[in-house]
Amino acid sequence: MTNPFENPDVSYLALINDEGQYSLWPAWAEIPAGWTVAFGEDSRQACLEYIETNWTDMRPNSLIRAMGE
Amino acid sequence: MTIDSVTPVTPAVQTAPASQLEDILPLSPLQQGLYFHATFDEAAPDVYTAQLVLDLEGPLDADRLAGAAARLLTRHPNLRASFRQRANGEPVQLVHRRVEVPWREISGRDPDEVAAEERARRFDLACPPLLRFALVRTAPGRHRLIFTNHHILLDGWSTPLLAAEFLALYTGAEPPPAPPYKDYLAWLTGQDRGAAGEAWARALSGLDGPTLVAPDLAGRPPADPGRVRAHLSEDLTGRLDAALRGRSLTLNTAIQGAWAMLLALLSGRDDVVFGGTVSGRPPELPGVERMVGLFINTLPVRVRLRPEESLAGLLTRLQAEQAELLSHHHLGLAEIQRLHGSGPLFDTMTVLENYPLDTAAAEVGDGLRLAGAAGSDATHYPLALAVVPGRRLSLRLDHRQDVFPRAEALRLLNRLTRVLKAVAADPDLPLARLDLLSGEERALVTAQGSGEAGGTTTPAHADIVSAFADRVERDPDGEAVRAAGVSLTYAELNGRANRLAHRLTDLGVRAGTPVAVLLERSAEVVVATLAVAKAGGAYVPIHHGYPPDRMSWVLADTGAPVLITDREPGFAHGAAVVRVDEPYPGGRAIPAPASASASAPAPASVPAPASAPAPGPDSPLALALNDEPGFVPQYDPHVRVHPDQLAYVIYTSGSTGIPKGVAVRHRDVLALAADHRWDEGHRRVLMHSPHAFDASTYEIWVPLLTGGTVVVAPPGELDPDAIARLAAEHGLTALFLTTALFNVVAEESPGAFASLREVLTGGEAASPEAMRRVREACPDTLLGHVYGPTEATTYATYHAVREAGGTAPPIGRAMDGMRAHVLDRFLRPVPPGAPGELYLSGAGLARGYLGRPGLTAERFTACPYGEGERMYRTGDLVRWTPDGELEYLGRTDVQVKIRGFRIEPGEIEAVLSRHPAVAQASVAVHDNRLVAYVVPAGPAAGRTASAEELRAFAGGTLPEYMVPQAVVTLGALPLTPNGKVNRAALPKPDISASGRPPRTPGEERLCRLFAEVLGLERVGVDDGFFDLGGDSIAVIQLVSRARREGLTISPREVFACQTVEALARGGSSGREILLPLRATGDGAPLFCVHPGAGLGWPYSGLLRHLGPDRPVYAFQARVLSEPDYTAPSIEAMARDYLTHLRRVRPRGPYLLAGWSMGGLIAHAMAVELREEGEEVGLLALLDAYPGRDAAPDERDVLPELLSAIGYEGTGEIGDVVAFVRERGDRYAALDEQTLLAVYRNYRNGVKISQEYRPRRFDGDVLFVTAAHGREADSPTAADWKPYVTGTIEDHTIACDHASMLNPGPVAEIAALLRKELQ
Repeated sequence: MTNPFENPDVSYLALINDEGQYSLWPAWAEIPAGWTVAFGEDSRQACLEYIETNWTDMRPNSLIRAMGE
Repeated sequence: MTIDSVTPVTPAVQTAPASQLEDILPLSPLQQGLYFHATFDEAAPDVYTAQLVLDLEGPLDADRLAGAAARLLTRHPNLRASFRQRANGEPVQLVHRRVEVPWREISGRDPDEVAAEERARRFDLACPPLLRFALVRTAPGRHRLIFTNHHILLDGWSTPLLAAEFLALYTGAEPPPAPPYKDYLAWLTGQDRGAAGEAWARALSGLDGPTLVAPDLAGRPPADPGRVRAHLSEDLTGRLDAALRGRSLTLNTAIQGAWAMLLALLSGRDDVVFGGTVSGRPPELPGVERMVGLFINTLPVRVRLRPEESLAGLLTRLQAEQAELLSHHHLGLAEIQRLHGSGPLFDTMTVLENYPLDTAAAEVGDGLRLAGAAGSDATHYPLALAVVPGRRLSLRLDHRQDVFPRAEALRLLNRLTRVLKAVAADPDLPLARLDLLSGEERALVTAQGSGEAGGTTTPAHADIVSAFADRVERDPDGEAVRAAGVSLTYAELNGRANRLAHRLTDLGVRAGTPVAVLLERSAEVVVATLAVAKAGGAYVPIHHGYPPDRMSWVLADTGAPVLITDREPGFAHGAAVVRVDEPYPGGRAIPAPASASASAPAPASVPAPASAPAPGPDSPLALALNDEPGFVPQYDPHVRVHPDQLAYVIYTSGSTGIPKGVAVRHRDVLALAADHRWDEGHRRVLMHSPHAFDASTYEIWVPLLTGGTVVVAPPGELDPDAIARLAAEHGLTALFLTTALFNVVAEESPGAFASLREVLTGGEAASPEAMRRVREACPDTLLGHVYGPTEATTYATYHAVREAGGTAPPIGRAMDGMRAHVLDRFLRPVPPGAPGELYLSGAGLARGYLGRPGLTAERFTACPYGEGERMYRTGDLVRWTPDGELEYLGRTDVQVKIRGFRIEPGEIEAVLSRHPAVAQASVAVHDNRLVAYVVPAGPAAGRTASAEELRAFAGGTLPEYMVPQAVVTLGALPLTPNGKVNRAALPKPDISASGRPPRTPGEERLCRLFAEVLGLERVGVDDGFFDLGGDSIAVIQLVSRARREGLTISPREVFACQTVEALARGGSSGREILLPLRATGDGAPLFCVHPGAGLGWPYSGLLRHLGPDRPVYAFQARVLSEPDYTAPSIEAMARDYLTHLRRVRPRGPYLLAGWSMGGLIAHAMAVELREEGEEVGLLALLDAYPGRDAAPDERDVLPELLSAIGYEGTGEIGDVVAFVRERGDRYAALDEQTLLAVYRNYRNGVKISQEYRPRRFDGDVLFVTAAHGREADSPTAADWKPYVTGTIEDHTIACDHASMLNPGPVAEIAALLRKELQ
């Protein structure tokens, strides 16, 4: 049973949306509207490491703006 | 009806009757398979009866036709075979020299009826021939010949050959003889079975289990199949052919690939197997194409579906994989399955019938012509697809109607057609984009997947603070909170929350600041929760069942700078503490009598003791108050809150070994509160779930943000009586219960909900029976079955249970604003009926996991059904019902639920693996119990660990509900073919350990009741109810089942006695001074002295670890049995107890142990005994310290209890009772009277402990230090030095003072005692 997000044998992307939120995404799947590739394709682990490193403020962009920062 | 004649026709070959047998032959592999199936159930219709029907027009000579039939058998010896088993079990086919051909001629009957009749008559495999003819005259010059045979003789390939030969023989022709079947059997024996076996093993390697669409069929008799058909248009057939030709693909490959895609959808797998029928005719055998017999073989076709592949890519790979197996088609399926080491690999099959029976009209001769022909044969599979090539490709699906009704079979066939269309249209289409849904199916799942848009219920405010302010403005005098003795209006609640919010702001709480909350259930929870929101912070509720380390960890993980609590925290942290244990200046006390009964879960028949404290600040139970009215302003702090800010963080188990904090936004809470389902009935909602449990979101915010009332349940377990009482006294309208509690109420008192508008339940697999009982008993109460992960803000779907039938109710439809997507491995929506993983999007989706970007990105993923939206991957396996509701099927991973708590076995495994003596660990659930399987680290680690030690180790970091109840040591963990731990193969643990069998009918009955309630096969008389996994819900069940059998025991007795032996001995009030925990056994008894609370029960945890030979007694404070008694000193208590001790054991050696204050008393007893010249064999002091500074006030079990009551301002004993009940542990059945005694003893104990001046004990001391919660100036074992002549052996165990006698630590203590006593 291989979940599309848990398959170590396929490559993945790190997607990002306008809110600065990241998503792991299987490289074989069509990229949903409103998302762009931030990293990859690469191994699952590499994508997750990229996200760990780059998603430092998990607040959505609209909130960050609204809070006046 | 006229039967013209029934004439046995004898074949012409009538050689000398030297032997009836011409030959004895082995069976081919497929014949063996059929032989097995045919003899499996001889009473049922044999589905391997095949039939060929020929419509003949023109003048017909029936006798000549019968003669031709006889000739056929002469020419083909294998048609004269019967099948029998040799004595050794091996089946053989016996070729008889001479058999009579059953031939009957019929006229005036419906030929279809005759055909059915012919099919229905079973062939006896031992009686040749296994075929029969019937000639039906349908009209003048019109006949139908019905040829019926057992499949074991002939395959579908052979029948047209045979038919052609038959008709040729009729005309008098003598076609050249075909090579005999025997040649093929001989060829078979010459094949390299070893090489074939290896090829099949390679083809199936790594396969993770069979693909069964009807796994429950095993052992059920075969059923007559239904059949549905479809035809591709000529145009489509042509385009498909062209597309396949262009890629050098065969039609068979296309069919197999398409079937694999369908099967993947049907089974929820991406590595599927099904049967593929091969002709089985080896090309190297001369004349094989003309042979008549059974050659066909059904062999496993294994297809791995890869999302990154295109349709053509998959088919090309599949064709190449199948080509590897071409020369190995002779191996039987049974052997292949045996080699693979599995049972049946598949239960569906495909066959390409490229042996078309020429259905075109044909001249037979002499004016007779063949007007039509049709065949009928079937398989035992629930689904069998036959494809017949032609100008219009024909698809035929045989289906077991008991598994796949006709409509479903038609849908499958339509889906198959869509796949073939896609292959024809665009072979390069990625598999992940292949759409398998019909327009109708798509419309259904899209429409039903979306919750209502919200509409009129869309909240005007999207954050808690302004939504609440709105409510205050609208109805300031409306009741916002009702708790025991307290009622707060919206204005009052607002004021209190404002004050606390100001304090939080002063402590630095800003937008998004996490604020930890550790509070007992009370109105204060509501105040604190609201206050944190008002200050702009996010509340982080902490479960009081967490071990101190985990509490510390949560504070560190969130970085919460402030902790709101009502007690000494008792764990390491760096936060500023806000104590809220103060009364409500703004609250109105409601009359005492009502509140007293409302807050006391004890039966109303128990009279309150005359000396029960009056509510108020002078109550002995009230703590000193720190009320500073006016010190903090009551006006609104006016902190701006954005809807996307976090409202709270709730921790759940994490599979990697670290808990994860689900970060939920204000917006999400509002979305939940605004659901239209709450509009009517959810006005007065009961708050009883732990704050750290996400049901608290519903319980607090749904009423508060909709103008209703939060009714705070008194602390303690909620039982059916309490529900009915709360409903009546507080006008409760709705509540949520976990599945486990709902089931208990349904069993005990299904009418308890009758006055409620709605009951919500969910969290675990629902019991339809429990739902039915409640529906019947409470016809006017709505019953809502809810489902939802914390990540989707408590509830994601809802189903109104109207008719509870025999199956579990669905989890229903998405909540307002939420959308449910059921997707397969290719992230494609699945049709109704097919399993898929549930993904949730829309309103209520949490922000993610606090401080865990990677984990968040894995679970909150991009959503293909919205612009830049995210969806949460639940890990829950569900399916759509035909009318668009969701049904829960299970987990896609190993997450489990125990008592409503979501648990990742991986987290427990990670903790256990950190123990140096553990090499590998796996955790699984058996019978609702967590079981750990450990592989020891081996000699290199230099040590092994006992089950008790490992449990204690786990209990150091994990909450109690995550500590495995049993530990099984294995040499190695069982693995799947893929090298993963095979959880299904983990052995069931033998939890019933002691094994001492019952000796009396009374014990036997109790043993049985224990076993029933705990779901165990047997229970020994010494086994502790709680050690075996019993919890407070199980106690309620035990008591009620016993009551049903006329046996009256109270929950308190169960808590007090714990074992069958003690319960059966009966008569225990649980309050006696010398409580025999186990009176039997040959060893010297161990006497344990009560701690400050005065109760001896907690020592019962020692029983099962000390072994059945060791009697154990516990001393309890006299005040329990004599409420007016006050012990003047420790020495006086010691002397009092010694009188009792000598009655049981007149002479030493004496074995004494004491925990906390009990240590002081035990020491005093030991001093006295030595001074009288008695021998003291053991003096064990459990975290007990002499002297003024070490008085038990700060370190005993009671502070928690006390701090729980002060802030209510009522000091009611009922609250205390309720509080300890909520702990759900051994203290949970204390009633008011006992509690009061406990409290008295404790207070007095503090005093006399401080006054106690120990004398010197002549002997050694075994000391046990509780390692946790110590500070630099904490007393140590060395403090005893002046009072002991011998040595003090100090052992340290990893627990805090208060939990020393909890299951984990008590096992370690028992181990120490056992060693000392040897």
